[in-house]
Amino acid sequence: MSNRFGFPDLGIGLGLRTVHYAHLLEHWPDVGWFEIISENYMQTAGRPLYFLDQIAERYPIVMHGVSMSIGSTDDLDVGYLGELKALRDRTRALWVSDHLCWTGVAGRNTHDLLPLPYTEEALRHTAERVRRVQDFLGAPLLLENPSSYAEFAGSSMTEWEFLARLSEEADCGLLLDVNNIYVSACNHGYRPADYLNGIPFDRVAQMHVAGHTDQGTHIVDTHIGPVLGAVWELARQAYERAPGTSLLLEWDAEIPPFEDVHREALKATAFVAPREVDRRAPSRRAAPAGP
Amino acid sequence: MSESDLAGARAASDEDRRGAAESVGVPLEGGVSDAFVRERASATPSKTAFTATTPTPRDPFPSDRSRAVRAAPLDLPLRALQHWFAAAIMHPHGVAAGIEQTAAHGASAVALGDVERVLLPSSRLSGIERLAVYGDAYRARLVECLADDYPALKYALGDDAFEALCLRYIARHPSESPNLNAFGRHMTAFCRDEERPALQFEAELAALEWAMVEVLHASSAQKLDLATLATVPGDRWAQARFSASGTVRVMEFSHPVNAFFQAFRTDQAPGVPAPTWSATAVFRDGATIWRMNLSRAMHALLMSLFGGTPLGPALESLARAGQLTEEEGAQVMVWFRDWVRHGFFAQIETE
Repeated sequence: MSNRFGFPDLGIGLGLRTVHYAHLLEHWPDVGWFEIISENYMQTAGRPLYFLDQIAERYPIVMHGVSMSIGSTDDLDVGYLGELKALRDRTRALWVSDHLCWTGVAGRNTHDLLPLPYTEEALRHTAERVRRVQDFLGAPLLLENPSSYAEFAGSSMTEWEFLARLSEEADCGLLLDVNNIYVSACNHGYRPADYLNGIPFDRVAQMHVAGHTDQGTHIVDTHIGPVLGAVWELARQAYERAPGTSLLLEWDAEIPPFEDVHREALKATAFVAPREVDRRAPSRRAAPAGP
Repeated sequence: MSESDLAGARAASDEDRRGAAESVGVPLEGGVSDAFVRERASATPSKTAFTATTPTPRDPFPSDRSRAVRAAPLDLPLRALQHWFAAAIMHPHGVAAGIEQTAAHGASAVALGDVERVLLPSSRLSGIERLAVYGDAYRARLVECLADDYPALKYALGDDAFEALCLRYIARHPSESPNLNAFGRHMTAFCRDEERPALQFEAELAALEWAMVEVLHASSAQKLDLATLATVPGDRWAQARFSASGTVRVMEFSHPVNAFFQAFRTDQAPGVPAPTWSATAVFRDGATIWRMNLSRAMHALLMSLFGGTPLGPALESLARAGQLTEEEGAQVMVWFRDWVRHGFFAQIETE
């Protein structure tokens, strides 16, 4: 663990996906931890929680959101934050993350991770909202660098400068997605090494790796695997600067069987030191709560 | 008993008596493997080109793409910038139409020719083409969401017609929630009331599929069990009231909707069926979603009970209306055990 927040090193983890529920509940494989997409388990009282409760009994869970819309000029959605907090408490999630982006405005939600202009105004606006979210959650929020396909003419700083200043001013953590660095670097024409040089790694509590799709004119963050060699190399370089950071593979398109996804994630053992899987002991509850 | 066993038993039984004779419905899924649940991700959909929304490519290498010679950036406040960006990518006719419309209405100072004073071009894409990446992804993600909720509707309409329907739906019912779980909730009414000509069968099919989404997310915390049912004294049955559990939906159709859905699920390539009465209960039992065909008597009894009528008056009303034969009357307790076993009722009140 190298981050200033004391978030633990969970080793190598996987994104929890519904197509793997059956495998997990039958085999309970040795996986360090799972990251859930928070919204998949919100506004539901049924089957998603039926599975999640059982998995959270056995594995460390962290929450990764896609709808906080931290950079939007709409008001923060207090109802959303309340549900997020309740889910964190239910799963005993070790931390909560979301993206440096906005997802909608004027009450409409695009359900996309839309880019922010990197300006002083956006920095002040976003930092103030991050502080409010952290006060509400009572814990540091991790913000992930997004993949982006457009950049604003009015930006006055780079993305990494914005992230560094934002994390300092809001005192938040970072989830460094090295695939997103690769994707955005290709789309916008900058060097990933410059990005890494600008990141305050003592604030990085988690890393992501994933696959992507080259469309010819731009690269899309599809999370289709396996992970490109250049992205693994970037992950290695990032990990060297923050050894002991929890690392996770995202695979969201054409998802193969669990063993294949797990095998891909374990390629990280090339630079992540082997560690004993810290699986939660099953609780004394005889069975997980019903849906 | 496997799904195919049940399907075979169903096919052999009389249509109006299905479910009553078999005591169990048709499983939607046999286990915990679950491709049905819509799943959000932070990924971007790989489909990034809707014909109607991608602007026509201009000269691939116009001189104004050079950052060295571009015009001065437009100084837009963050709020104005976000309104402009969102209006462009959410416009049903594409980002160029969105930009022109907002400019024409005075809602934005960004004319179509000024886009690259807001969004930089890349070495391969113009500013507006980069904006269109987001516009296409917006629609693709929501079409995917609706396809997850309505796979049989997609089959019934065909891929192209379904996508066109979804694009009209997205324009009419944009998401106003941080969550997509309920995004497709208007589809039945949309097919029935807003499409011209009205899609009557498709509306009923959508209702069946949406019922499955609803019971998937419903709480099953409160369910009447057989042990509780057994404690009800015989002289209290007539005044017993049963409330519906959250994990059951009872529906009446003017087409054989569940038969169509089952044929779709078992790859029998069904065609759109001729109208005929049918009724179906959709329910979740544990992690599995089931569909049970109902006879007219079963449907009428369940609707009466869920409407708050005590059991005795409900049965008397059915008998008076000629909806309950003597043979069916003898089966009522069998139905009840089945319905209770599958969690149809939240609770029973006998006072």
